[in-house]
Amino acid sequence: MSHTVLVCDDAIFMRTMISDILAQAGFEVVGEAETGSQAVEKYRQLKPDLVTMDIVMPDMGGIDAVRAIVKDDPDAKILMCSAMGQQALVVEAIQAGAKDFVVKPFQPSRVLEAVQRVLG
Amino acid sequence: MDLSQYAELFLAESREHLSACNQLLLEWERSPANLAPVGGLFRAVHTVKGMAATMGYARVTDVAHRAENLLDLLRRGGRPATDELLQLLFRARDALEQAVELSVVGREDEIDVAEVVADLDGAAAQLGPHPLAPSPPSGEGERGGEVPPVGAGRLVQVTLRAEAPLKGGRALLVIKKAQAIGPVHAVTPSESAFEADEFDGRFSFRIGGTAGTAEIERGVRAAGDVEHVTVGGEERRPGTGAGAAPSAAPETKSRHIRVDLGRLDRLMDLIGELVTVRGRLNELAASARDPAIDDVAIQVSRLSRELQDEIIQARMTPVWQVFDRFPRLVRDLARELGKQVAFRVEGKEIELDRAILDELGDPLLHLLRNAVDHGIESPAERRRRGKQPEGEIVLAAVRERASVAISVRDDGRGIDRQKVLERARRDGVVDPHAEALTDDQLLRVLARPGFSTAEAVTSVSGRGVGIDVAVTRIRVLGGSIEIRSVEGKGTTFVMRLPVTLAIVRALIAGVGAERYALPLTYVAETVEFGVQATTIVEGREAIVLRDRVVPLVHLRRLLGVSGDAPTRCPIIVLEMGERTSGVVVDGMLGQQEIVVKGFDAPQGTLPVFSGATIMGDGVPALILDAGGLL
Repeated sequence: MSHTVLVCDDAIFMRTMISDILAQAGFEVVGEAETGSQAVEKYRQLKPDLVTMDIVMPDMGGIDAVRAIVKDDPDAKILMCSAMGQQALVVEAIQAGAKDFVVKPFQPSRVLEAVQRVLG
Repeated sequence: MDLSQYAELFLAESREHLSACNQLLLEWERSPANLAPVGGLFRAVHTVKGMAATMGYARVTDVAHRAENLLDLLRRGGRPATDELLQLLFRARDALEQAVELSVVGREDEIDVAEVVADLDGAAAQLGPHPLAPSPPSGEGERGGEVPPVGAGRLVQVTLRAEAPLKGGRALLVIKKAQAIGPVHAVTPSESAFEADEFDGRFSFRIGGTAGTAEIERGVRAAGDVEHVTVGGEERRPGTGAGAAPSAAPETKSRHIRVDLGRLDRLMDLIGELVTVRGRLNELAASARDPAIDDVAIQVSRLSRELQDEIIQARMTPVWQVFDRFPRLVRDLARELGKQVAFRVEGKEIELDRAILDELGDPLLHLLRNAVDHGIESPAERRRRGKQPEGEIVLAAVRERASVAISVRDDGRGIDRQKVLERARRDGVVDPHAEALTDDQLLRVLARPGFSTAEAVTSVSGRGVGIDVAVTRIRVLGGSIEIRSVEGKGTTFVMRLPVTLAIVRALIAGVGAERYALPLTYVAETVEFGVQATTIVEGREAIVLRDRVVPLVHLRRLLGVSGDAPTRCPIIVLEMGERTSGVVVDGMLGQQEIVVKGFDAPQGTLPVFSGATIMGDGVPALILDAGGLL
């Protein structure tokens, strides 16, 4: 059975691209979220095997969403999607419970490596 | 990976974000002390940066990165906006827009961003060094009480790959992995250094517990991007990376897709032809008098109608997609001309057919320019007239029956009718003895190509181009335009447009041997000619309908059809805003859906046709333009 993924990013562009990369590698993207609070809600509903989480999102940011999700499910597997220059935020996200991170611009191979590390 | 498939999406989404930036900057400009818009600006620019970097658009990424940096400082510093800063951010937004548009068509090289980049950096430098994000204090003490004494456990030295991004984050992941193997302490440099951009990816720690060298190394490498690991002084050569992608099973799922607009147009054309064929089928069914054929005809009608509704729905677009660029435009114009203007947009969510909406940008632009340039007075003049120094311009969309009314209203000086009248007399547009101009006449004079009463021709408008362009464009779209102007109080232009262009319900009228279609959008009612007493009002034949004077247009005469109309014939009463007119035709042939086909009228054709359609029997018919008959 393929792994299920919840993709969280405020840009459709990014969600589409991440979804495409993951779907082509055999993952099943079961949901998308545009804000941190949507991510938390959808995580509860969908219980995905993996979450990809943007850091900067309106409403509730990615790091707060990680905190909320990990509080509910300490085993949640969350992969942060970050941009260059967000070192401090990535560190904060990992301290909050994120399992790994990838840096934009995304290279499919690096995204998939990170996903394997998180799921493995 | 092929990125071209994402270019369209990148463009659409970047445009949205940049449009939002305009709104946010305007908002910030209105109340400089309120920092709420800055967070939104930061997020929008950040998102554009991420997308552009992924697409490999270096210049967009570069400008966005510098702008983001500056915005981040502003956001954290809590400083109110200065005029200089706002100008710079507006410029940066414009540069981004240009870079986005050019990058997508592969002409990224044509844009020079050096200057705006330098200015953004300069502004950021003035605001001070980039502060670090506040983060919870970290350190060994935090991680549980059993901190072994320094020196206990095995020393692990790690070097991350040089090309690894955000090495601090990666180092922290290594520490986390190690913690799962045994207690970790003496992290050098300390974890707070991981947050600094200068962190070079070399660090060490001590690990307790009983795990063997191989297990520790495997654990550390599992964090990814690890170049070297040395455990307890025993160096290990880097192994081969284990990060192979899972075997690709090309099963792509998607719930929404994006559709090329051209395809939607083509679909609309096809539905149009289906509607025509449906009309033919209905006629055949009616003459065949066979219940089985009737049944099929009814089903085909129902299905094609549903199909048509769906397609039209898919084409509907909220007007904000065009309106959203105007606040910025009005602001820039007002600044350039030294005017103070509060600009308001109403009814943003009202929807119109995409094809109509796309054509509205230019006419609206002309009208708004006129409003700022000629309508609104200078602050000093307004004060003299006892008005607020700040003028007001309102762009509003309102849904009316089968049409949408879009108005541009200003509270400026209004049009100088006397001046227009003099000019109109000179040009022979009105009777040389005319004393005053009605609103209708005013519009007709203003809409003459090249008409202008502006004493000074400014760069903004005033060459008279504008109103004639707007009037023509609106008419081509099957709409109408009217003007209301009160001297000293302001001017309002109202445009009425059909909600969709492609398929409309129309009355089919016969004149001589021809049939003509009149879209129902502007048909108020039909009455019988002959029953109503005709009268002459202002030299025109008219009927009085419930105390309203309705001037008549004899289609037979207008179209030059010889012979006499029947003695009793129908009048189709058209209504557009406050204007009415009664169109006298030979006979009414019923209502039906018609498919509007674009129509390039040959030179000299009467300006009363807006298009053509094919009737159920395959014979073409011209579509009458209500605006032209009023």
